[in-house]
Amino acid sequence: MSFFFQELVNGITTGALYSLVALGFSMVYGVLKLLNFAHGDLYMVGAYIGFFIIQFFGGAAHVGIPVPLLLAIMFVVAAGLVGGLGVAMERFAYRPLRDAPRIAPLITAIGISFFLESAALLLFGAQYRVYNTAEFISLSSGIRIGSVTIDSVQIMVLVLGLLLMTGLQLLVNRTKLGKQTRAVAADREAAEMLGINVNFVITATFFLGSALAGIAGVMGGLLFNTVTSTIGFIAGLKAFTAAVVGGIGSIPGAMLGGLVIGVAESFVTGYISSTYTNLIVFGLLIVVMLVRPSGLLGQVQLQKV
Amino acid sequence: MEAHPVKGRLILVAAALGSLAVAGCSSSSSSSTSSSSASASGSASTKSCVASVGFEGPITGPVAPLGTEQLHFAELAVAMDNAANNTKITLVQGDTQLNPAMAVTVTQQFTSNSNIVAVAGPAGSQEVEAVGGLMDRAGMAFISGSATAVALTTGKYPTFFRVVSKDSVQGPQDANYIVNTLKPKALMIVDDQEAYSTGLVSAMLPIFQAAGIKVDHESVSQKVTDFSSLVAKVTPAESVVVLPWQIAANAQQFGRDLAQEHKTAVIFGTDGLFSPGTFTISGSYVSSFGPDITAIPADAAIAQAAQAKYGSFGTFGPPVFAATHVIDEAIASVCKAGQTPSRSNVLAAIKQTNEPASILGQPIAFDSNGDLVNGKFFLFKISPAGKYQLIPS
Repeated sequence: MSFFFQELVNGITTGALYSLVALGFSMVYGVLKLLNFAHGDLYMVGAYIGFFIIQFFGGAAHVGIPVPLLLAIMFVVAAGLVGGLGVAMERFAYRPLRDAPRIAPLITAIGISFFLESAALLLFGAQYRVYNTAEFISLSSGIRIGSVTIDSVQIMVLVLGLLLMTGLQLLVNRTKLGKQTRAVAADREAAEMLGINVNFVITATFFLGSALAGIAGVMGGLLFNTVTSTIGFIAGLKAFTAAVVGGIGSIPGAMLGGLVIGVAESFVTGYISSTYTNLIVFGLLIVVMLVRPSGLLGQVQLQKV
Repeated sequence: MEAHPVKGRLILVAAALGSLAVAGCSSSSSSSTSSSSASASGSASTKSCVASVGFEGPITGPVAPLGTEQLHFAELAVAMDNAANNTKITLVQGDTQLNPAMAVTVTQQFTSNSNIVAVAGPAGSQEVEAVGGLMDRAGMAFISGSATAVALTTGKYPTFFRVVSKDSVQGPQDANYIVNTLKPKALMIVDDQEAYSTGLVSAMLPIFQAAGIKVDHESVSQKVTDFSSLVAKVTPAESVVVLPWQIAANAQQFGRDLAQEHKTAVIFGTDGLFSPGTFTISGSYVSSFGPDITAIPADAAIAQAAQAKYGSFGTFGPPVFAATHVIDEAIASVCKAGQTPSRSNVLAAIKQTNEPASILGQPIAFDSNGDLVNGKFFLFKISPAGKYQLIPS
């Protein structure tokens, strides 16, 4: 039984990361109907920012400030810078193509993805950058219940992930900006006619979605330690899948999709074999899509003809 | 509208085509830049001994750190050999990304560049399989510093050579060490879904099974960095985890996950895990086709030059230095014989290679299939301080 709970904890932790990245994917799709394939690379940029902040404060083994402060700086700076990068992407790459055929921004998104990956390779080099989290957050810290271990980083990822997802849900459902965002997602032209500043709403959406990816990047760095220019590809792929499975455009759907994939991967690895993880998990997801093509929490959209 | 299945497929197809186009463009542009610099070197002349050597390696992509190290050592070899032999050899870079398709593209460019007389690389066995026929048709000698698959030297690629030993030596050697010295009752072995890794696993499994060891064979992609679920599967009886991987940082994370979940299994890794700055899990073993040249007194000058110019390095660079050096010496010998370096005379000279000493701490000569004669592997254990200590064979 303890093995079950260990795998569950591992799966939920990984799933929380997928969910955070998937949220940005889903938000952008919701307002622009754009599959932002560069979104995974924002995760990579966030992970690099976290790494360089650790180096700035003396490196993992000699952090010169209290660790909670270091973590706060990492998350805030990564959110701010990656959010800003997302806004720049929208302003200079996607906005000019807003009324172009849908394939144009899609190809642009792929181009931006390659651009970010190559830029990171040139700027930061090919070598793996390692957070060395264990140097400043002890592996022995955390909770141990029987033989189930939940370390401090996992707890932090779970708590922060939950807070961010709840906060985002409140923002979308309870604030004026959230109401405007939902209006733009439902009908951009009608929202514009009602006096909503559509550009501002889209910019805010890109900022929030990208900031979440940046925070997820730091979390991923703390959890998995390794940062390279290519980590965004897998993160983006998993997040895209999570968003689609949950129901693309749906915020609770993105959260659920990420958790479903994380937990499914963990259990297949634990109870069957890692050899078949992708085969079985993605096989199950195909079944889900066949049964509910709009995703677990997505809504079927009626089209007038 | 967005849920329309046909439209969705069209988008995905377009996206795939787009990514291929982008990848293709980036590849051709980088290679064309390199080729133009090679062309500028001018025509060959016996007096000045001018020639170009191609380098094929994963300069970008998932194993870029290893490929970059290989490139650095190839550059170093050319610079040192030019100075020593008074030759004017230029290195033409080709980025294969450890991808056979990319290796084919690069090889086609190299074989159509008449200045290139031989190639150092490619890095991966799967890439050698992809380009072996092209190299043969072009009469181009190519020497890999890291391709270890057994099938490469059965005579089907007559212009292929390697300065490292092959899996049929490493797999059984490592497996026997584990069986006889570490004596596990059960173990986990995890391949990284690449030909290199699965080849080694195939060579090891029969030995483990013959010794009555219970084996849990797992498999994770190189791109995976979350091993928590896999580590949770390591049972107390599994006292050894074998990781024939190419990415040291992943093994480091695996080791951390083991510690975090209070597992005491010892990691036994292969070539790619030799990375003193990255893989530092105390008590782990690493078997490598290359030695730690910093521990070889005769290599001090090369090690210092590499350290000064490129920083720390592992065991992937020195074999490429050796491969490039073999080519450089072959070109120099052709020039000394009063000939202009060409693919055919350089190939013939490489076949005659007989270096009594090399950067690898062993002689270099090739058998009729291009294999290193008396090649061996080196086994290291990581100390609590993270240092790699050679275990005498």
